[in-house]
Parts: sequence; C-alpha cells; structure tokens
Amino acid sequence: MSTPGPDSPSLPEPGFTPRAPAVSLPQPAQPPANGGALLRLAAAGLAVLVLAGTSLLIGVSDVPWDALLAPAEHPRAVQVLIISRVPRTLSLMLAGMSLAVAGLIMQMLARNRFVEPFTAGTAESASLGLLAVTLLAPGLPILARTAVAAGFAMAGTALFLLILRRIPLRSALVVPVVGLVLGAIFDAATTFFAYRFSLLQSLMAWTTGDFSSVLRGRYELLWGAFVLTVVAYVVADRFTVAGLGEAFTTNLGLSHPRIVALGLSIVAMVTAVVVATVGMIPFIGLVVPNVVSLIVGDNARRSIPWVAVLGAGFVLLCDIVGRVVRQPYEIPVGTVAGVVGSLAFLHLLLRRNGRVG
Amino acid sequence: MSPPPRRLPPLLAALVGVAVIALAVFGWRASRAPAEAPVPRGAAPAAPAPGAGRTVAHAQGSTVVTEHPAQVVVFDLAALDTLDALGVDVQGVAGEYFPGQLAKYGDAKRYPRFGTLFEPDYEALHAARPDLVITGGRSSARYAKLAALVPTIDQTTDDAHFLDTVVGNTQRLATVFGKEEQARALVEAMHRSIARLKGTTAHRGKGLIVLTSGGRMSAYGPGSRFGVLHDAFGIPPAAPGLKASLHGEAIGSEFILETNPDWLFVIDRDAAIGEGGGAQRLLDNEMVHQTAAWKQGQVVYLEPANTYLIGGGIQSVRRLMEQLSDVYARPRQPVAP
Repeated sequence: MSTPGPDSPSLPEPGFTPRAPAVSLPQPAQPPANGGALLRLAAAGLAVLVLAGTSLLIGVSDVPWDALLAPAEHPRAVQVLIISRVPRTLSLMLAGMSLAVAGLIMQMLARNRFVEPFTAGTAESASLGLLAVTLLAPGLPILARTAVAAGFAMAGTALFLLILRRIPLRSALVVPVVGLVLGAIFDAATTFFAYRFSLLQSLMAWTTGDFSSVLRGRYELLWGAFVLTVVAYVVADRFTVAGLGEAFTTNLGLSHPRIVALGLSIVAMVTAVVVATVGMIPFIGLVVPNVVSLIVGDNARRSIPWVAVLGAGFVLLCDIVGRVVRQPYEIPVGTVAGVVGSLAFLHLLLRRNGRVG
Repeated sequence: MSPPPRRLPPLLAALVGVAVIALAVFGWRASRAPAEAPVPRGAAPAAPAPGAGRTVAHAQGSTVVTEHPAQVVVFDLAALDTLDALGVDVQGVAGEYFPGQLAKYGDAKRYPRFGTLFEPDYEALHAARPDLVITGGRSSARYAKLAALVPTIDQTTDDAHFLDTVVGNTQRLATVFGKEEQARALVEAMHRSIARLKGTTAHRGKGLIVLTSGGRMSAYGPGSRFGVLHDAFGIPPAAPGLKASLHGEAIGSEFILETNPDWLFVIDRDAAIGEGGGAQRLLDNEMVHQTAAWKQGQVVYLEPANTYLIGGGIQSVRRLMEQLSDVYARPRQPVAP
C-alpha cells in the first residue's frame, strides 16, 4: 500500500484489537478534526449537484431552467426531462460513483495505487464475456448478458489476483503492468474473435463509454451498481483491513480470502453492469481514488463517500463537455474521460514523483 | 551462480501450450491457403506485350489493362455487383461475406479467395498473376501495393458525386470488358428510375438517415456516404447542417426528436454484417415515437447489406431505388400503435 495521505490519522495501530465479528475502526477518532472534512464533502456534493443540474438543462432539445420550477407551463420540456435528461443524469452519476468505488476497492485488494477495473483485466474480460454472449446467444435479455459478463469479469480479476500472489517480489509498478498485460491478452482474444466475425466496429461501439442511448427504461440496471456501491460502503472497514495485508487481516480474526472474494464480486459486477449498459469509461477508477487519498487518506469508510461524489462529478463533467463541444452531435464520454483522465493521471504521477506506490 | 532451473508454473505452461496450438493451427491454415487459391490457368503467365493493352483512367491514376482480361480478381463488393450486372465472369474474390444476390461468390471452390478486402493475400496474387485486379471502397487503401504487383484499377466512389462515379465506374468496366451495350442499358434504366423517384420524393417531407451499430446511432447528411438519398433521389434533408464524414455524427434520440423528420431511413450495420441487429429495438423509444416519421409509419429500414456493404454497385443502387419507390408508393399509414 502506498503512503497515507496528509491527514489520515485513522489507520489502525499495530496493537489494535478488534471487536469480533465486525470491525469498526475510525468512529471514535474522528470528531475533532472532522467538522471541516464534512463541510468539504458537503461542498463537493453541492458542486456535483450543480453539475447534475447543468446536465439536466443541456442537450439537443430546448429545456429552459424554469421548466424545473413551473413544469405545467413547459409540457414538452418536462417530457424531455423525464424521458431523456433525468435518466441520463442519473445514469452518469450512478456509473461514475460505482466505477470510482470499484477502483478504490481494487486498489485496496491489490494493495496498489495503479490498479482499477481498466488496468487489471476486469473490463476487458467483461467485454470478452459480452462478445461471447453476442456470438453464442445473441437473443439473451440484457440481465442475462450482464450476468455472463460479470462472470467473465470475476474470473479475469481472480486470475489477476492469482498471478499477483505468484509474483514473489512485487514492486508497485509491476502490479499494474501485470494487469495491463493480462488485460491486453483478454483484449487480444476479444479482438481476434470480433475480427473473425466482422464485429470489430460493433465491439468499438459498445465498449466506448457513451450515454447517448440512455433513456427511461434503458439504464435502470445501473441502480444495481449503486446497490453494490452501498454494500461496499457498509463493509468498507473490511477493505481497509484487507488493504493492510493478508497477515494483518488474519491477525484481526478476519478471513482474507473471504474479503477478497466479496470485493472481487462487487468490482466485477459493477464493471459488468456499467460495460453492458453504457460501455467503458477509463481512468475514473484510477484518478478519483488517488485524488481522494490525497484529500482524506486511505480509510475506506471515510474515503468511499468522497470517491462516490467525485466519481459522479467526474463522469458528469466529461459527459457535459462531450455534449457541448459539438452540439447537437456528441463526443462519447469514454473519449472525453480518456483525454481528461490521462491528463489528470499524468499530473498525479508527476506530483507524486519519486514516491510511486 | 546461475539460479536453479525452475519448472514453469502450470498456468504459464497452459498459456504457452494454447499459444503454440493456436499458432500451429493458423500457421497451417495460412500455409494451406495459397495452395488452394491460385486461379486455374491454361497457359503460363505472360506479361502483356507493349501496345496490347489500353490505358484506363480510374480513381487512383491510370493503368494499362490487357484487351478483354480473362483472369480477374475483385476486391470490392460494388464492383462485383456491377460486373455481375454486366455479365462478366470473375475468377477470384476477397472476403468471407457475400450477401443477397452476391451469394454465389461465397462458393470458395468456384471463386477462390485472395485474402480479405482489408488484407489482400499478396502471395496468392503473385502466384496467380491475374490479368486485372479491381479495388474500391474498403480495399482502396491497398491499391498502391496491389498495383505494384498486378495491373489494378480502383473503383472507389466519390460520396460527393456518388451517382456520377457509379455511372463512370460502370462505363469503365464496360469498356474494359467490351460490354458497352449492356452498360448503356443499365445506366439509362437507372436514370429513368431516378427521374420517377425524384418526382415522388420531393414533396413528401424531409428525411433523416441514421446508421445504428452496437446500440449507438450516427446521422448522415447530404454529400455523405449515404447522401445519395438527398443528393440524387431528391429527399429533402431534415438536418441540413450535417457535414459529410465517413462515420457520420454521433447522435442520441433527442436529436431525432428535435430534427423531427417525416422519414427516418435506418441502416442497421449489425444486420448488414449478419450479426443480429438491434436497430428496431434501439429506435422503438419514447423520443422517436414523437416524431412525424414514427407517427406516419415512415421509419424505413433500408436493406442493410445492399446499402452498407455493396453501396456503389449499379444493381445495388437500383435495388435501393426500388425499395424507396415501394415505400413512397405505399399509402400513408396512420399512427403506429
């Protein structure tokens, strides 16, 4: 695990004794320094709400802002809001939230800052699963498709963690490299079959993160990702502990494999749901948790709300940019996130320079 | 000091094993392909004597082609479509997927394969030495490399002058193969149909062309690869601001709602390449339901393989026109359920 952030007082002391069975770490330590942090979180939440409001008002159809206040006078605008804008905004926030939290969990499980579903083969194996469904059982309903993708994602991620365990001396940079290599292998397999069946372009279309087809009735699966995010928050302390290592976890009387399996399932299902409904949004799971770690440190209980809020904000912002730049046409959010995310990531890398990992 | 030899971890060993098998299989396939591929020829290949050919100007320059080439390999479905209409027999083709009326070329025994549209099998071509290779569209990027090997002409259509190039391409092939008579008839018939179609489209409302692929949509306007609907067939564009670009402009359903076309022309790319296709499911939504096109039952799914894959063949243009004539002749339907 990397160095804790500047104000992270709540990592457990080595002599910490747990109250079995649940571990609850930080509560008593927090109140003194925390009023400010809560305020900052509220401010960030407010900023995301402003972005959400902007997202409601931006689009091809004209939706004046006072349609929100006096719906009766703008029947058409309200219709557009209900059918298109609200679902889109909600799905952006849900996807952003859950992907960012999934990134955080992966970083804790792999004990490495540079891991996220898109650098550890999770997303690639999910999309291999989607391709397999498309080729073998094209008529399957979306829920079953997602389930298959989640299965593939879980297997791919498990393989990643398995390989990590076999690497004796792992430096901080080897971990993401292993993930990228594994992801590239899955990607190669996917590309190969897509090529053989002339599906390359379709593959591109469905893996590029894009919310342009989100409408009422077409995004609701993302609420499942939200539920998983809530579950992640409920069991957050376990991930914090798991992030401190297997020996430490076992010392506390917790089953490390079980925590890993739980985290893995959450990450795989979230990734599969997002990839199946809107496609891949790179970097969010990487950049957001790292930024949050700089702000509030590495305690999952404290950082998950931050990660969720900033994740939602990041995706909202990218999609708003993608919708505005070429109005009335769109630039897929995956493309915008790739550009913005890579810049942010470079910035983080240079900032952390020398203390990688 | 050398470390003791270690056994490969089982996982790695399995991966290596799979890789070796895969390489062996595809290596075998690749090495087998050219043996099947060469065009059967009676005489030994001989370069055409100087003066024995004619110079043919085409989309990427000009090429000296023998009089009445006997061995022809085609890397373009549109050219194949036109040759089929002219009654010219070809000896080799490229690609795997031959839709609809080109299905007969799917018989690999009768028509040996020379790679794909994007990746010609240069070895096989070198061995077969055909008299003429025809590229176009998807294979036009390989023109230079092919032309260095065998006489090649490029039949790429120009989206901005689509119909002119379709006619030009047809006449070029007719000249090469001595089928001027047939070409004249085909082109005249096409112009007659266009005149008829134009008479019916101009006053029946505006149209929007949308291509769907993998659950996403993009819109195409005049001058684009499907712009012939506006440019030549006289359908007024519902979104005149659409610039011509190869992959269209990414849009959402809100764009269709705001554009409110009277006709929605849909090209289902996934269906075109024979992989299910979900255009109907994608467009059957609350936003599109509010458009004039949906309410009047004027959402038209263009025959996908014909439109998307074949495009600029003279028969394919005729079939597109026939489909449009049919839907424009249909009485206007009341609101769809």
